[in-house]
Amino acid sequence: MPHIELDHIGKSFGTTNVIRDFNASIADGEFLVLLGPSGCGKSTLLRMIAGLGDITRGILSFDGRRVNEWTPSQRGVAFVFQSYALYPHMTVRENIAFPLVMDAFRKWYHIPVVNTVMRWKLMRRPDIAERTARIAEQLELTSLLDRRPANLSGGQRQRVALARSLVRDPSLYLLDEPLSNLDAKLRTQMRAEISTLHNRVRKTFIYVTHDQVEAMTMATKIIVMNKGEIQQIGTPDQIYSDPANTFVARFVGAPPMNLLDVTTGRGMVSIANGPSWRHEAAPDNALMGIRPENLVLNPEGDGPIPVEVSVVERLGAETILGCRILSERRDERFLDTDLVFVRVQGNPGIATGTRHALSYAAKDVRWFDRGTGAAIPHATALPNCA
Amino acid sequence: MTEILLRADAKTPVARSALGGIKWRGLLPYVFIVPPVLYLAVFMFYPLGRQIWLSFTNTRLMNPNRSEFTGLNNYERLFADPEFYMALQVTVIYSALAVILGVTVGMIAALALNRPFPGRAIVRAVLLFGWACPNVAASLVWLWMFNERSGVLNTIVTGIGLDRVAWLTTTQMALPSILLVTVWQVAPFVMLVMLAALQSVPEEVKEAARVDNADSLSVFRAVTLPHVMPTLQLVSLLVAVWSIRRFDIIYLLTGGGPIGSTSTLIVKLRQVAFENYDLGLASAYGVIGLILALTVAVIHALFTRHRLKRSQQ
Repeated sequence: MPHIELDHIGKSFGTTNVIRDFNASIADGEFLVLLGPSGCGKSTLLRMIAGLGDITRGILSFDGRRVNEWTPSQRGVAFVFQSYALYPHMTVRENIAFPLVMDAFRKWYHIPVVNTVMRWKLMRRPDIAERTARIAEQLELTSLLDRRPANLSGGQRQRVALARSLVRDPSLYLLDEPLSNLDAKLRTQMRAEISTLHNRVRKTFIYVTHDQVEAMTMATKIIVMNKGEIQQIGTPDQIYSDPANTFVARFVGAPPMNLLDVTTGRGMVSIANGPSWRHEAAPDNALMGIRPENLVLNPEGDGPIPVEVSVVERLGAETILGCRILSERRDERFLDTDLVFVRVQGNPGIATGTRHALSYAAKDVRWFDRGTGAAIPHATALPNCA
Repeated sequence: MTEILLRADAKTPVARSALGGIKWRGLLPYVFIVPPVLYLAVFMFYPLGRQIWLSFTNTRLMNPNRSEFTGLNNYERLFADPEFYMALQVTVIYSALAVILGVTVGMIAALALNRPFPGRAIVRAVLLFGWACPNVAASLVWLWMFNERSGVLNTIVTGIGLDRVAWLTTTQMALPSILLVTVWQVAPFVMLVMLAALQSVPEEVKEAARVDNADSLSVFRAVTLPHVMPTLQLVSLLVAVWSIRRFDIIYLLTGGGPIGSTSTLIVKLRQVAFENYDLGLASAYGVIGLILALTVAVIHALFTRHRLKRSQQ
């Protein structure tokens, strides 16, 4: 089972750099999620690890051995494609058994008639037949074994694709947005199934997605990417609570972290033409980041930030409120800033247009440099503000 | 045209109430179908029916209006004539080899052109030339090249130290020579169609096969070939039907000779009709050719149905 090392990996198509200087180390048994918006190079990176795309620069090594030139089968990887990439004219059974048949294939089987006979014989070889049947049972595909992919539902096709990747017992699983073609309910179910699978086989999984929920729920480690560069590497908790920069802060979380454009000085924080309040140890020239669930909605006047609710999204167990910060002066009631999102448990029974005040605990605030967007290291032991 | 009709209909309430808007809608498909049906009726179904009818008469070209129904007499003459069996044999051999060689060469060319290399567009254009070239012009050029004394083919053959070949004038060489021209003409078409089919093979499925430890031949057999199979069968059908009824190349190069060694049913038909003036017998030749082509089409249809059935499992 490999320990994977990506050393200054780069990829260019012609003159465009898709990935530049990617460094990461992936431990054995890890569930690594490559998270980023579409076009950020995460699929390209996965294909390079699989051996389906050339590596322009840098060294990819498995257990210290350079594998840049190895073919996909030499690397012993399984790849689950977004489109599932099932063999359409083969039955489910033939699809699942295909990697095993290919492993047992000899060069001379290519002779026309021999080919047909040997493939037929290999399909019925006891070890191959048994293994296929066992994997099919694990993924509840037994009743579908003689069907063809065209007559399966999306979820069933996905399970066939997983079964095909499982059957050879590879040490590295690469999954390229495997759930993006499924409906929401099925996605939740498959998410749990893939997590269970990882727990059972204890192999390394590298999973590419743009869906932060998938990343948060399944990963043991997340790499957030944007424009071919690593934004942050960390556990889901680290990524969520301590984003390395404003990109990660805005990309992870739904709704994303609120970033307030404030001016700071002399223990005070203020919004242009808006309210100002006390906040100790606020850095200069910084954006104030705070998660929606860390904002507390109080009655009007009972908090430093006066707001008016303009959007109410009921999600069942919780409610998302989109608020506008109110101006100090009466004549321009709203400030031209983004909505501030507040997450409230249950149904607070709040209507749009009502006025409230927001407060927060100083420990929940994250500061970001206004110019670079990078996080400013925070001190945790601060008193709550008024 | 229909648009104008519909508009006129809408503007005149009398016509509308009389005919009804819905009725026009229902007629619309027929308005579109009538021109091609008329065309087919005049240029295909009528001549076809006429030919089948002629094959049961003793019509002669010199006096086509005085003919009488003679039943199966033409077919009896046909089946008693060794020249007919010869023509049938030549047709089957010629068509089978044209399909096998033309499709194989075209498919290999398509596979070669399916991967990018510098100058691919130019190579593709040059290879298409054989198909784009008018048959008569191409046949005349080939006639020069086949010329025993001054042809370029014999220049090459003697250049590598072999004896001159009588390309078109010996019974052994005439059919292979004609097949050479046929393949030169058919393969580019096969290549063009198969190239389009090859380019629609999903890249991800090929990659999946590579990850599953399949070598390039296995990827071809397991993914590419099944994907292009319907197209390959259709192209084979087309080439087969074209070969069964091919006339221009054969007639211009050998005229059916020597000693009938390249005389297919169609070449024979022309000879019987326009040299022996026996329209009835010539029509019987045509009907046999039609049956041959239909057989191939039915085989193709059976294959297609089998595939559809399998995919619905």
